[in-house]
Amino acid sequence: MAADGQPSRKGFFTDTSVCIGCKACEVACKEWNQVPEDGLDFLASSFDNSGRLSADTWRHVAFIEQRQPLGHQDPGVGRPEGGAGDAPGPVDLGMPSFDLPGQRTGEDGGSGGGDFRWLMSSDVCKHCTSAACLDVCPTGALFRTEFDTVVVQEDICNGCGYCVPACPYGVIDRREVDGRAWKCTLCYDRLGDGLEPACAKACPTDSIQFGDLDELRERAERRVEDLQEAGVSSARLYGEDPGNGVDGAGAFFLLLDEPEVYGLPPDPVVTTRDLPSMWRHAGAAAVVLLAGAAAAFAGRRS
Amino acid sequence: MPTHYEPQDTPFTNPLYGHQRNPTRLLFQHELNRYHPAPDTPGAGVYPYVVTTYRLTEHFTAGGMSRWTPYLSELQPEFFCEVGPELAAERKLEHGGWATVVTARNAVEARVLVTDRMRPLRVQGRSVHQIGMPYHWGPNGYSTGDSANELASMALDPNVHIQEVKALTADIRPGRRPRGRERVALVEEYRRRAGVTERTGTED
Repeated sequence: MAADGQPSRKGFFTDTSVCIGCKACEVACKEWNQVPEDGLDFLASSFDNSGRLSADTWRHVAFIEQRQPLGHQDPGVGRPEGGAGDAPGPVDLGMPSFDLPGQRTGEDGGSGGGDFRWLMSSDVCKHCTSAACLDVCPTGALFRTEFDTVVVQEDICNGCGYCVPACPYGVIDRREVDGRAWKCTLCYDRLGDGLEPACAKACPTDSIQFGDLDELRERAERRVEDLQEAGVSSARLYGEDPGNGVDGAGAFFLLLDEPEVYGLPPDPVVTTRDLPSMWRHAGAAAVVLLAGAAAAFAGRRS
Repeated sequence: MPTHYEPQDTPFTNPLYGHQRNPTRLLFQHELNRYHPAPDTPGAGVYPYVVTTYRLTEHFTAGGMSRWTPYLSELQPEFFCEVGPELAAERKLEHGGWATVVTARNAVEARVLVTDRMRPLRVQGRSVHQIGMPYHWGPNGYSTGDSANELASMALDPNVHIQEVKALTADIRPGRRPRGRERVALVEEYRRRAGVTERTGTED
């Protein structure tokens, strides 16, 4: 609670390094928010059959399979990159060793054992500080709550769909059967009762963490430092920076690779940022046109 | 004393022991429960690949409850088989397409997931490809598909009578399986090529 009696800003920190891909967040979200089923589509995209965030999928777990080695003696969350002097390598305990079953495999007789990693990441609405969906909504259906989250009021939304192309992350979407826009509410109804959102509640590994945004940012910084110290030099935060194109996301992530790998835009910008400048240019163009037309009439008279 | 026996269906001879298979296992002679030829015998190469079955997080046992639930069905909507890129190239399996997996018991169809997670096993100096199959599907429910159990044989361990559904051999081919009588004909054609009779695989 802030000094003025307003609740502090709430958000998500999704630590993908401990995501196990159970999809409990997807199911818990749908159960609580009564989101309809999104179609029985086999996508052949590893174990991901949701595909993307949409009006009927408010949490989406991406599965990315990579031909990249895991570090030895590593819990499975990254790899020491070659030549990094400060990253601790595997520790030789002097134990006799042999290959694990299945490690010495492959047509080449198997030098490439272990060169595989599986990234999983639960995506969600970012609840931007500068939210373009909110800026363009003509009915006021989208509003900013006392928790500084962005929520659609389904009884006000008229289905104009302006918010859909406005979102720089492609999160908000219209539901085909009723035409209205739907997205993550950060469980606004649960927050009001002092509960955490359904996805964070269901997450068995605390990959999805809910809390005060300031505190989450500190926690995330510490987690990145810990991972980097442990040799996972690819660990980085995504979306937490208040200086980014959306002035900081209310839901941010710890990733183990470039954002593009997870299907996230590398440098999203609030799409309404250039609107004032566009209006100024349009106004200037209008003035020039009017002046030109006036000059043409004035010229004919003389 | 602990010992090691090879499974009922296996592409390899027992490296430890003179007996290939557990002599106390329980077998059932039935026309729908034929066993595969022993390794290194004629006909063993007709079912050259190793199949294993497993669960997915999204479904429970054979899916009798979870496949009726839209929220779970949409997360794993179809029966699939996982193969490595080497096997996919060898048998011209298309990622996201269909494949038919055949044993002496039956033939089932599944969507193909080509993944680096499935690696060829290198055993006794040669490599053998693996096929991974979740066993959650069946003909009823909201999400339906063929059942991996159709491929397995009934060969029970003597103590607790568990059948061998985790280790068997099979062949895989691109495309959907034939329907009706033609499905039976396909299985019979494989049995003929492998020389499978009611005595096959019953030796120890």
